[in-house]
Amino acid sequence: MAKKLMKGCEAIGEAAIKAGCRLFFGYPITPQNEIPEYMSARLPQVGGVYVQAESEVSASNMLYGAAGAGCRCFTSSSSPGISLMQEGISYIAGAELPVVFINIMRGGPGLGGILPSQSDYFQATKGGGHGDYRCLVLAPSTVQEAADLVQLAFDLADKYRNPVYVLGDGLIGQMMEPVEFKRTVNPEDLPEKTWASTGAKGRKPNIINSLYLDPEDLEKHNWKLKKKYEEMEKNEKRWEEFNIEENLDVLFVAYGTVARIAKTAIEDLRSKGVTAGLFRPITLYPFPGEALYSVAQKSKKVLVSELSTGQMIEDVRYHLGKDREVAFYGRVGGMVMTPEELVDEALKLLK
Amino acid sequence: MPAVIVEKDRCKGCTLCVNICPENVLAMSKEINSKGYFFPFMQNPEACTGCRHCALICPDVAIQVEVKGKVNQKPSALTEKPFHYCPGCHHGIVHRLVAEAIDALGIGERAVGVAPVGCSVLAYDYFNVDMHEASHGRAPAVATGIKRGRPNLIVFTYQGDGDLASIGIAETIHAANRGEKITVIFINNAIYGMTGGQMAPTTLVGQVATTCPLGRDPNLAGYPIRVSELLKELKTPAYIARVAVYDAKNILQAKQAIKKAFDYQVKGICYSFVEVLSACPTGWGMNPPDASKWLKENMVPYYPLGEFKTPEKGVVKETER
Amino acid sequence: MYKEIILAGFGGQGVLLIGKLLAKLGLEMGNEVTWMPAYGPEMRGGTCNCTVVISDKPVGSPMSKHPHGLIALNLPSLDKFEDFVRKDGVIVINTSLINRKVKRNDVKVVEVPANEIAIECGSAKAGNMVALGAFIGATGLSDLEMVKEILSKSLASKPQLIEVNHKALTRGYELAKGV
Repeated sequence: MAKKLMKGCEAIGEAAIKAGCRLFFGYPITPQNEIPEYMSARLPQVGGVYVQAESEVSASNMLYGAAGAGCRCFTSSSSPGISLMQEGISYIAGAELPVVFINIMRGGPGLGGILPSQSDYFQATKGGGHGDYRCLVLAPSTVQEAADLVQLAFDLADKYRNPVYVLGDGLIGQMMEPVEFKRTVNPEDLPEKTWASTGAKGRKPNIINSLYLDPEDLEKHNWKLKKKYEEMEKNEKRWEEFNIEENLDVLFVAYGTVARIAKTAIEDLRSKGVTAGLFRPITLYPFPGEALYSVAQKSKKVLVSELSTGQMIEDVRYHLGKDREVAFYGRVGGMVMTPEELVDEALKLLK
Repeated sequence: MPAVIVEKDRCKGCTLCVNICPENVLAMSKEINSKGYFFPFMQNPEACTGCRHCALICPDVAIQVEVKGKVNQKPSALTEKPFHYCPGCHHGIVHRLVAEAIDALGIGERAVGVAPVGCSVLAYDYFNVDMHEASHGRAPAVATGIKRGRPNLIVFTYQGDGDLASIGIAETIHAANRGEKITVIFINNAIYGMTGGQMAPTTLVGQVATTCPLGRDPNLAGYPIRVSELLKELKTPAYIARVAVYDAKNILQAKQAIKKAFDYQVKGICYSFVEVLSACPTGWGMNPPDASKWLKENMVPYYPLGEFKTPEKGVVKETER
Repeated sequence: MYKEIILAGFGGQGVLLIGKLLAKLGLEMGNEVTWMPAYGPEMRGGTCNCTVVISDKPVGSPMSKHPHGLIALNLPSLDKFEDFVRKDGVIVINTSLINRKVKRNDVKVVEVPANEIAIECGSAKAGNMVALGAFIGATGLSDLEMVKEILSKSLASKPQLIEVNHKALTRGYELAKGV
């Protein structure tokens, strides 16, 4: 299939359809409106259903229903809307339902702004809603990768019966780049979900639930979830290494949009005689800490860069140990660093 | 002879003034202002009767009219900041009417406004009174908190159709039902403007929006919600009215209704609610005069104008409206 | 090959559209491309702009601080971006809505009365195409036929618009070539 120029948001929408998803529930919020707009036009063409919910709280509970009934479903929103969805996400994690959440992040806290940001890292990777749970978090850095990761997100959600985030930012959502879709899944070919509420015909009723009033039962449930998260940590860590070699002067650690800005900076640094490389986590939870540790051993300096005041850096520090110095450069509020800023920051660090 | 004074750098070239002028006094200049817009000038100054319709409809408070040496004043409850709204958007007209009501009742020093999420999210920059910015749909809850905490304040919310009738419908109904002594100004333009033209709960059947690209289908999205009619059924006393601002007569009626709504609050009588049918030329994909015309021909028949409920009469019968 | 281009005007002038055409052109030429719109409240009744990057390698940053080229369809756009254009870059300005000269003397400037030419071509809305044609002509990014072909494909659902837009593109292109 030839490459087609597509907006990140539209590529995400098409990828969901190509992943066999036929249900979307959401509410408009900038900067991801092109996803619901795309789904409202595209889903009816493939026999799917688009619902504009009255709010994000409602949308997340519609997802709880649809996923509990065994249907692939997803939503997309942006930071304040994702905060409203935390009720549903916690219930979905508790009832172990597969749902894909797209968060095209914008600056916060509160209403914040509508420009690109990565300030929901903690919310996505450390919980977000109440209770002891984890979501798988995938962070694309190009429109092509956004499409690929959305398809993967549906598979991982089903595999682990768990909510999966695709965490992008306004740049990934709004940018156009060439894309090709590598596979198409027919919804009818998806394996049957025997646990779902599809009608108790010839079997015992299935109950979709997150309530365990007996503390012993709830404790058991929590440890069972924990075991599942350990499985994810064992199997699902993903990352990219760019220009990694022995004896690096500086190693950038960045994800999403910032990682591609770092790539431009790395090229520039090379022309200035500085060897620089990039470690880019693709899964933010589980965080590829061991791989980062071994790459970091090859570099004199480590520089974490994010569109936040420093969130992922806590995971980086945790994995590199307290003796390793880790520098940070962040822009926030919708401001995005230029490659020149990263070059300057790296040169300052090496002085 | 009367004179139309145009503050040209506030103008966004919407042409509503040229269109409303009954004597064809105004025309658009060939010059552009500092924002890159063409602005109006008096092409036939001798024809001007000083009716002030142009100043009434200007959504950017860019026009003043001098009649017999007297110039209409800009309301002091508005700041000097130019509105960010699109050319021809009715928000600016309603902002001015709200500010005029605050001025007329002399409540500027005890008025507190609550801005919504949507196009009017920046309303806190425009009203020259204390303001809160609420999260999406929660303005009536925020207003409840303010009013219950400080009952002597005059508290109003200013909300669009997504904010009030979709995500905030629960807060809307319950604030009205509790009879909170607040004033709610509801801008119904049948579309989501800020996010780029998605379907609103008030989008008309068949009306195209970016999330109903084939037109609103009542089988999938239901019928547009008539919020005024919904609220009038609550037993708690209230003032509920629907107005429009597409022409001079309606603007004057809207002005009356908004002032009345604030007055009921000042007198501690009841919850008050004014729905204003508004044009969104950008979201509807029309030029401003056409958008006003579309509003009159399509929205008014579905959303009838008038007072639906008053604390004195209760529900107003259709024949009395 | 590595070019960053900013296209700016106010909402309704079609800057995003000509940005997309430019990105499609880059893709058709076998390059990697990004198209990045500025979004937000400024797109409501204010200025509107997008950045296109065309590169023979994967594109890093999709934004541009110092573009190689600028197409400014109105005055606020020129005011905002003029100073950032790289030395020896190209600035195309729409003199129908810009009543001043470009201050820089280290860039190539093409002045086009895009609105007037568009009206002469038969559609007041085709001013963006005049400017795009002028930009292609001034930079020699590709030949005109290739741009026309891409435009025809993009307008496949509205064939009645193709001719007038081709005309506008050509007029802009020829005007710039004459510079």
